[in-house]
Amino acid sequence: MEAFVNYWLVWPSIVNFLNANSWGWTLSEILHFVGLVMLIGTVGMFDLRLLGVGKGFPLEPLRQLLPWGVVGFLLCVATGLVFTLGLQANVPNPIYEVLMTDIWLQLKLLFMALAGVNLLFFYLSGASAEVDRLGAGQDAPPLAKAIAGASLILWLGVVYFGRLIPWAL
Amino acid sequence: MEFLSSIENSGFATWVRESPSLLAYTLFLALHTIGLAFLVGFTVALALRLFGVGSRLPLAPFASFFPFMYVGFLVNLLTGLVLFSTAPINFLSNPVMYVKLGAVFASVFCLLKLKRLVFSDLAKADARPVPANAKTLAGASLFLWSVALVMGRLTAYSRPVVIASVIAFVVFAVLFLAVVFVTRLGSRGEMSGQRA
Repeated sequence: MEAFVNYWLVWPSIVNFLNANSWGWTLSEILHFVGLVMLIGTVGMFDLRLLGVGKGFPLEPLRQLLPWGVVGFLLCVATGLVFTLGLQANVPNPIYEVLMTDIWLQLKLLFMALAGVNLLFFYLSGASAEVDRLGAGQDAPPLAKAIAGASLILWLGVVYFGRLIPWAL
Repeated sequence: MEFLSSIENSGFATWVRESPSLLAYTLFLALHTIGLAFLVGFTVALALRLFGVGSRLPLAPFASFFPFMYVGFLVNLLTGLVLFSTAPINFLSNPVMYVKLGAVFASVFCLLKLKRLVFSDLAKADARPVPANAKTLAGASLFLWSVALVMGRLTAYSRPVVIASVIAFVVFAVLFLAVVFVTRLGSRGEMSGQRA
């Protein structure tokens, strides 16, 4: 298992690229932050609207901001993969050891998975279709509020745990 | 200089810097990122709307998110001062830090001007077209936030790395904006088609 993980989660081409270009790691860090700002800015605003902040927003047009949150998320995934697959360029710890011992990385991955399950539940429970009909000033149903609250807490948790990852190495 | 080292060696700064407690350095660092996410994130959302994304979205409710942005700014001011206190001499001798701080305050200034321009009379916010100045201020604010964010990330790196990273970011940003511009031109055509 250990050999398998260390083989498949180390991409020598990325490690070599990061070793040869000092800006590779820093640009990834910058874009990881840009991505998280786009994600929290749009998804966070959507969640807060469901919770009752800025209720003057009708839901359906507010959804048009969400693709920008998805772009932010994809930026974070892409740069997060650079940190993972190219980790050797930055620290000596093998990736298997980091995955097995870094509690913050584990919590971050767990919260990301829970945020994914929460999103899936938002669609499958019918809450998504229900809130689409919300006009300006209308209150979201309790289930949608619970899902929005969970989303906000989970994504902020992802940011918090993510920031702590280097401190467990 | 003596004053700065007395800050650096104070009990509080030493504790923040050296304690393994989750209430010390890492908490201030994480809160600094969360404050940034709210402040800059909601600025991005507002700017997107002013640039025409989700144009059926009324402007007035954006005013309800300004308190979150103010709290985000306050959190970052306080956590920023604490992080600064852990190594004031280092930070003050780093030109990157001055560029970052200049960009932060200029950006907040643009945001406050934008607030006065668009949201001073909420009843009128949606009754008139978006003032051209508002788009300029939103664009300036986003540009300045990217400078602040890039510089903030680069405070710990040496000058050649800073220069290479800034060039790399500018290249990425130009490519990104080019893609956005081209795809938006496409979607704009679609929208006018719907209206007709």
